[in-house]
Amino acid sequence: MIKGKYVLSLWFFSVLMLLLETSNVYAQSSSFKDNIYPVGKLKPRDSVLTLKVGDRAPDFTLPAVEGGKITLSQYRGKKNVVISFVPAAWTPVCSDQWPGYNIAQDLFVKNDAILLGITVDNIPTLYSWTKQMCNPGEKLWFTVLSDFYPHGEVASKYGVLRSNGVSERALFVIDKNGFIRYIDVHDINQRPPLDGLATALEKLNQ
Amino acid sequence: MMSRPRPDNRILNIHRGIVLFILILLFSFGCVSSETKSSSNIYPAKVASPPEGKISLPVFEFPVPQSEGEKNYLGVSGAGNCKVTQINSPVLIIEIFNMYCPHCQRSAPFVNDLFQSIQGRTDLKQKIKIIGIGIGNSSYEVDLFKNKYGILFPLFPDQDSSISKMLGVSSTPTFIGAKINRDGTTEQFYFKAGELSDVTNFLSEILNLAGLKQEDTQ
Repeated sequence: MIKGKYVLSLWFFSVLMLLLETSNVYAQSSSFKDNIYPVGKLKPRDSVLTLKVGDRAPDFTLPAVEGGKITLSQYRGKKNVVISFVPAAWTPVCSDQWPGYNIAQDLFVKNDAILLGITVDNIPTLYSWTKQMCNPGEKLWFTVLSDFYPHGEVASKYGVLRSNGVSERALFVIDKNGFIRYIDVHDINQRPPLDGLATALEKLNQ
Repeated sequence: MMSRPRPDNRILNIHRGIVLFILILLFSFGCVSSETKSSSNIYPAKVASPPEGKISLPVFEFPVPQSEGEKNYLGVSGAGNCKVTQINSPVLIIEIFNMYCPHCQRSAPFVNDLFQSIQGRTDLKQKIKIIGIGIGNSSYEVDLFKNKYGILFPLFPDQDSSISKMLGVSSTPTFIGAKINRDGTTEQFYFKAGELSDVTNFLSEILNLAGLKQEDTQ
């Protein structure tokens, strides 16, 4: 009888281990393939906007992924500027917002605008994250800047730094004179439709 | 001295074992199922299994295209909305895409190749039609995608994702194949998520699963 119990226990243990192993392999392979950290549903907004349409856009200088530094005021009198703050690399909504902008270059060009993408991540993280948005050998057409150190300083200047150190999902349109013409601090869980930005850009030329 | 368990205890132990086994089984499938759901928000595509058995295509509505060419292609007329079962084609391929999804962007030239492969064959062009549904995309975003990649078949926005939810799609791109019968019934015979890159194999699989005869493919 002891032998019977032993065999039965061993059989159940084997089945249990087999099933657990199967589900672990599935989970591991799925998350490894996806590479994206699931953040779950977040508080839609967690900061207090300090700027409004009509204000002069605070100037800043940040390092760019492709090297060198970019200063906002270098575009004054030359280009309209769209700033796209996204919360963090390797997170769900952010990972498909910029690939969408990457196929919308014509929209920016026809409105004489450039796009600056900003996150609080460091340069190496942004390098690998943005690289996987493109086909091999290609790169994003727009400039990506790192607001990593001092951490979130530019996001803070624009009133879009959340309490956990990431930025809001926010769009600012700045005209050639350096004034803010459009602000959309969006629900962090949702991607802002491109329509709103397109309308704002077209208004710049009216 | 060890006493032998009574026979009814042995039966009880076996019953307990069976219950335990079923619980373990349910728990394990529960883990797999919840992982599938939680990873559905993640944009890289993953391959889903084709449905088993015969299932119908959920009947959704979409706006009648404004372009006469697209109306003729789908065999629909008028204005307003029409049902998917009104599309005049024995076989329909639906691509659920998202303008923002790099996998959909990479698949776009291949889906155009698929369309041209079908349209280039007199034996197939009246038998298989393709439409695209832009999950979470506005009309503006769908038009941008269409113009950027010169998409040759009709695309429709699904901004509130209601169509995609009806179809059970959680990652993009997803390709669905369905038969539309003359009596208005449907049969969904193909459902797969992931990039399209091998047009020949994809078309061959669609033809086989749709039950189109070999001579139809020549």
